[in-house]
Amino acid sequence: MEPKTKQFNQGAALAIRDEKAQKSLLGLYHGFHAARLRAADATPNWEELRDHARAIKAHTVEHLDYYLAQVEANVAKAGGKVFFAADAAEANKYVVDLAKARGVKVVIKSKSMVSEEMGLNHQFEAAGIEPVETDLGEYVIQLAEETPYHIVAPAIHKSRQDVSELFHRKLGSAPTDKITDLGREARRQLRQKFIQADMGITGANFVVAETGTVVIVTNEGNGRMCTSMPRIHVAITGMEKLVPSMKDLGTFLRLLIRSATGQRITSYVTAVTGPRRSNDEDGPEEFHLVIVDNGRSRLLANPELRESLYCIRCGACLNACPVYRKVGGHAYGWVYPGPIGAIVSPVLTGLGDAKDLPYASSLCGACREACPVRINIPRMLLVLRRELTEGTAYPGQRRVALAERMAMRGYRMAFQGRMFLGLATATGRVVQRPLVRKGRIRRMPPPLSGWTRYRTFPALPKHSFRSRWKRGL
Amino acid sequence: MTTAPRDEFFRTIRQALGHPEGHTPAPSATALGRTRGDVDAGARHVREVMQRDAGPLLAQLAETANQNGWKVLRAPSLDTAADYVRDVVRRLEARSAVRTAHDILNRMKLDLRLADTGVALQVMAQGFGLDRAALRQKAIEADLGITGADYAIAETGSCVLIPRQGVSRLASLVPPVHVAVVERGQVLPSLDDLFTLRRDDFLSGNLGSYMNIISGPSRSADIEYTLITGVHGPGEVHMVLMG
Amino acid sequence: MASPSDSPVRASLFATCIIDQLYPEVGESAVRVLRRLGAELDFPEAQTCCGQPAFNSGFWSEAKPLARRFLETFSGGNRYIVIPSGSCASMVRVFYQELFHDELALLGKAQALAPRVYEFSEFVVDVLGATERVAQAAKAPGRSKATYHEACHLRRELGAKTQARKLLKALPGVELVEMEQSEVCCGFGGTFAVKYADISGAMLQDKVKYIKATGADTVVACDSSCLMHIGGGLDKQGVNVRPLHLAQVLDQAMG
Repeated sequence: MEPKTKQFNQGAALAIRDEKAQKSLLGLYHGFHAARLRAADATPNWEELRDHARAIKAHTVEHLDYYLAQVEANVAKAGGKVFFAADAAEANKYVVDLAKARGVKVVIKSKSMVSEEMGLNHQFEAAGIEPVETDLGEYVIQLAEETPYHIVAPAIHKSRQDVSELFHRKLGSAPTDKITDLGREARRQLRQKFIQADMGITGANFVVAETGTVVIVTNEGNGRMCTSMPRIHVAITGMEKLVPSMKDLGTFLRLLIRSATGQRITSYVTAVTGPRRSNDEDGPEEFHLVIVDNGRSRLLANPELRESLYCIRCGACLNACPVYRKVGGHAYGWVYPGPIGAIVSPVLTGLGDAKDLPYASSLCGACREACPVRINIPRMLLVLRRELTEGTAYPGQRRVALAERMAMRGYRMAFQGRMFLGLATATGRVVQRPLVRKGRIRRMPPPLSGWTRYRTFPALPKHSFRSRWKRGL
Repeated sequence: MTTAPRDEFFRTIRQALGHPEGHTPAPSATALGRTRGDVDAGARHVREVMQRDAGPLLAQLAETANQNGWKVLRAPSLDTAADYVRDVVRRLEARSAVRTAHDILNRMKLDLRLADTGVALQVMAQGFGLDRAALRQKAIEADLGITGADYAIAETGSCVLIPRQGVSRLASLVPPVHVAVVERGQVLPSLDDLFTLRRDDFLSGNLGSYMNIISGPSRSADIEYTLITGVHGPGEVHMVLMG
Repeated sequence: MASPSDSPVRASLFATCIIDQLYPEVGESAVRVLRRLGAELDFPEAQTCCGQPAFNSGFWSEAKPLARRFLETFSGGNRYIVIPSGSCASMVRVFYQELFHDELALLGKAQALAPRVYEFSEFVVDVLGATERVAQAAKAPGRSKATYHEACHLRRELGAKTQARKLLKALPGVELVEMEQSEVCCGFGGTFAVKYADISGAMLQDKVKYIKATGADTVVACDSSCLMHIGGGLDKQGVNVRPLHLAQVLDQAMG
């Protein structure tokens, strides 16, 4: 997918003015966010689970080469095939070539964020193959020709009227204001596709190294359909989704599902180990696992950002984030929105163009508080900001306006020597005079006008605390 | 010299991790801390608990399954269970149904007990002139899917199906209604216990190709956070608990 | 923990640049309250700013001289360091160790100093153990209805989630009414409030709305920067709610 991270501010402005979007974003706080807090409360040893999961992820990522080789061997033992793709193009080529070679006409897809990264649907279309998203939210997004708004709920910004209108326009179905009707229509449409399709594509929530098992978590059952109906199953995953052993799944399923939706468990958890065996009654004849790097090794190579690869894509940081809840999913301009997206997208697509992502945060820390594997997102935002101003890790990607650099230097000089600070304050008291009304400043020139658009500013008082202390308190 | 893309992929990762070229350090065994002996002992313990606490676990499952949207029946006898399934078939006015070859369904004499409802009941097993394509078609046309269970989980209100010969993937998925029959002694306390047993299965070479943990009806809240059921999988699910 | 009979708890006050320059009255309140509770205070005159604005903006090389200056000013002795700001206390206690992660000598200094650093409400409750004494000293002249905004760094960097509310609840003259989303950021975030003014403004809008909905006459927080932001929004919209630092509320109640 073509990154549009450069247009963050335009996207944010659109969302802030969009009342409908604001309503559904507030819904995330009262919905998923609140449900996660309740689920965490109801889970014994929740905090220990988080520590444990983090330790497993840290261990796995530190030995990623070892565990990837283990996956490769064990998938092969189970009769499947692993393909390692360095980038989106390699992954696309493998999957599309496979579909062509097998004479596939229709591909059904369960949700896969990596395939969004790859822009796989376009590649299929270009090859004359019909890709069909089957997660209800993704299906809506595909029909609307948009990108996912949220990791867990891709179409949460659309109202029932939007979806009804969309189905009417694209599918010719009768307009309705009942969500059950919309669900029934999607089932009817997609059931035919499930029956026709020769290839099913899924993501992977976890890949178990020891057994070569792909684990898929869904509520609708489309993940099961994609892994049961077509004769070929292709799972596509980022290389960080590994866990060493089956034994780790209990911890991770609890954390993922309860953090994502607050459910105790989703309707379906599906574990796939290779294609069907010779005696099985049904299931695909072929199983392929495509493991994608696509820039992740750059996160891996940077010890300060490595922990971003612990992410299990639950979406809890989005729901918790007051900035995401204002600017929505599209402003972030790529596949992964919200706090974790503000780390991952810049490194995967280019830090300079994505400079607004790490800066557009108040660093409130709600994301870290919510993250089931305790990823320290605020710290990584700070690291990326440093890289944008004075860092050396991403050559050619520094982006900071000279004015801001000068302002920061001035600030540092002011506070480094008290003499200069006293002078600056004294000057300030004089300069502010024409602006002060009743102890407040109501309008300031750019760039500070951004402040006074929404707030007034206190005038500098006659005496600083320092001088009052000196006079005796 | 050119390297294969696969080797290049691994080289990049080793480099990123600072591992020496051409060498992948193995994690210390203690980091995983699970020997075959541990697994055996763990699995043995889980099996003991399943039997010892069968009653309370069934009671807990009844509650959690109900919370997850299963219609739950506690069946004291095979007859009560069969009657319940017959009632479901009648209410649905089902014309065709598919089932797995789980032994519990044989013991319920389900084929016989449903004979007078007029439903055509197909066992999803190859042979008897039916190949995979024909079975798949039966599943697509069925009004109801009936299965046993391989395990159930009290913590999460789930039944677990492990597809293999005689246990179709489609029977519990494609028809709009699913009835699962869980036997006493099949209920695990928690998700962890399931994975302890499955890891034991793996080490014994019996993992198989597939597993589903099913925890209620197919559902979605993708539009306006509003819950709807039966999106792709069954919208109506019944759990019959024996004993 | 100290009781009144012990020798006085000795602490150095770091007033923070925003209190020093814009809200001296908050610093005065903090001094009066801490002294009334038996603390012996000094004010190291070399102090200026902790460096957070530069650090948060990515200018670590500009932040470092200020952080070094802080460490030099406060490193001697074993006095507590009291900071009436969750955010500045976080900078010193938590983020200095990030800033100096690759400069061992300064990292060592930052680590050694961190355990002595307390935010004001933490210091009153956890070090002075003075919740009871605050309650006794509060004379309750008239009633006030207050709502509490939980400043982000106080809650999430310092992990101080209970102390301020405990103190507010101890005041007989103050009725604490919880606002919706009290734990959600007000949208300040330093230069974020200017560079991304529309996003910050939208967050502030919510905060003002939830404060208004409580019917409180006062909004209390432990950070003058959040209060400058919230207060500026209240003033801009003509909402008649007073933004007060916890130190001011305690000072008035015990006055």
